[in-house]
Amino acid sequence: MTLLTTMMERPLDPGYQEAAARRAAAGLPRATSTRTVLVIVLAILIGFLFAVAAQSLRPKPTAAAALKKELVTRIEALQKHGSDQEAKVAVLGKQVRDFEALSLQQSGGPDLTGTIKNLEVQAGAVPLRGPGLTLTLDDAASTETDANAGTRPSGGFQQGRVTSGDLQIIVNGLWGAGAEAISINGHRLSSTAAIRFAGQAIIVDFRPLTRPYVITALGDSQGMQQLFEPSFAGLYLSQLTDQYKIRSVMAGSDSLTVPGDSAARLEVAQPVGPPVGSPTPTPGTSRLQQGTGTSTSTTGATDGPTPTSTPTPGSSSNAPSRGSAPGTGSPASPSSQENPS
Amino acid sequence: MIPVLGLLAGLAVGLFLDPSVPVWLQPYLPIAVIAAMDAVFGAIRAILDGIFNDKVFVVSFLSNVVVAAFIVFLGDQLGVGAQLSTGVVVVLGVRIFSNVASIRRHLFKA
Repeated sequence: MTLLTTMMERPLDPGYQEAAARRAAAGLPRATSTRTVLVIVLAILIGFLFAVAAQSLRPKPTAAAALKKELVTRIEALQKHGSDQEAKVAVLGKQVRDFEALSLQQSGGPDLTGTIKNLEVQAGAVPLRGPGLTLTLDDAASTETDANAGTRPSGGFQQGRVTSGDLQIIVNGLWGAGAEAISINGHRLSSTAAIRFAGQAIIVDFRPLTRPYVITALGDSQGMQQLFEPSFAGLYLSQLTDQYKIRSVMAGSDSLTVPGDSAARLEVAQPVGPPVGSPTPTPGTSRLQQGTGTSTSTTGATDGPTPTSTPTPGSSSNAPSRGSAPGTGSPASPSSQENPS
Repeated sequence: MIPVLGLLAGLAVGLFLDPSVPVWLQPYLPIAVIAAMDAVFGAIRAILDGIFNDKVFVVSFLSNVVVAAFIVFLGDQLGVGAQLSTGVVVVLGVRIFSNVASIRRHLFKA
């Protein structure tokens, strides 16, 4: 305690007191001037020391940080490029459809416009609008610890997280409850879209999603809610909420929009029969060529189950009659019509 | 006033030149800064007490820096450099705060 007391009570260097006493004894003023060369030189030196220490010890941006920043810029630029191209594809696709309709009219053949529109609706190629449900899922509040970008996940599975399996079960439940078109965070679930897990991220149609996950399902909102809640998926969802505090909000709405899947095309699979518009289609050949129904086996063969294959009503029954009898394809769903925009 | 101008001039020179400090010297910089601050506040208090002495100021600064650097160097050799650095910072920090309290009493009578 003596040390502490001394330190607290006499913090000033005792040398000052002694030097002052010596000078007083010698008949000089107690204090010397503060403008001597020694003081000024030392003042300059101390200022220099402060500046040098601050500059050399300040954490400098490392090479890794610069690299990360550059990668972020590149990712953002490429994402913007991608969405620009998507918009372009949508515009061009609309043009192509218009030209198709025009050339069909001019060629004087049977009016196939209605059929094409029906098939596009079923293939998920065009945006749809109608009443439906929005189901918003979010991780439990306790798992928001790594919101800090750049920190690595602590590893292991966190129970409060929404997994791809949860989304698969819920989406399947919504299909089962009568949903006619579903999108997650603005990504349309077409017949080739898979919901997968890559590391900690949920991938839908090869695009990573960030929470919250908003599932938009078009259909009869009242009926869907009544069918969904007592179903397996509904019980599963309520258990997720009860046990793991995963947040979910379901809301019905009269006017919802799901976007079209602009990338819905088959690149490898070839139709077995004659091309579209041929007057005598062979029964059972045109399913792949429509891009509906069973085409999950071609490009959807990623990993895990692909529960999102579109159970389009009537997609198998209309296959034989396609092309020869316009309008006899599966009727467009009564509650969802093509988005004119 | 002239020493303050000298301090500012030193700061400006250091910022302008931005010399590169060798890596082996870098662990001693924070300690040197704390020791310098202790000397500066001690000097200000001595000026206000009317007992300032330029030789004591210079010697106290140099001895503070040398002893603090030596303690850190010894700690590094013994493998307790971080702990001894903390000790130096605590001791000098307490002295700085006490001197600042005394300066405050002089200036604001509070």
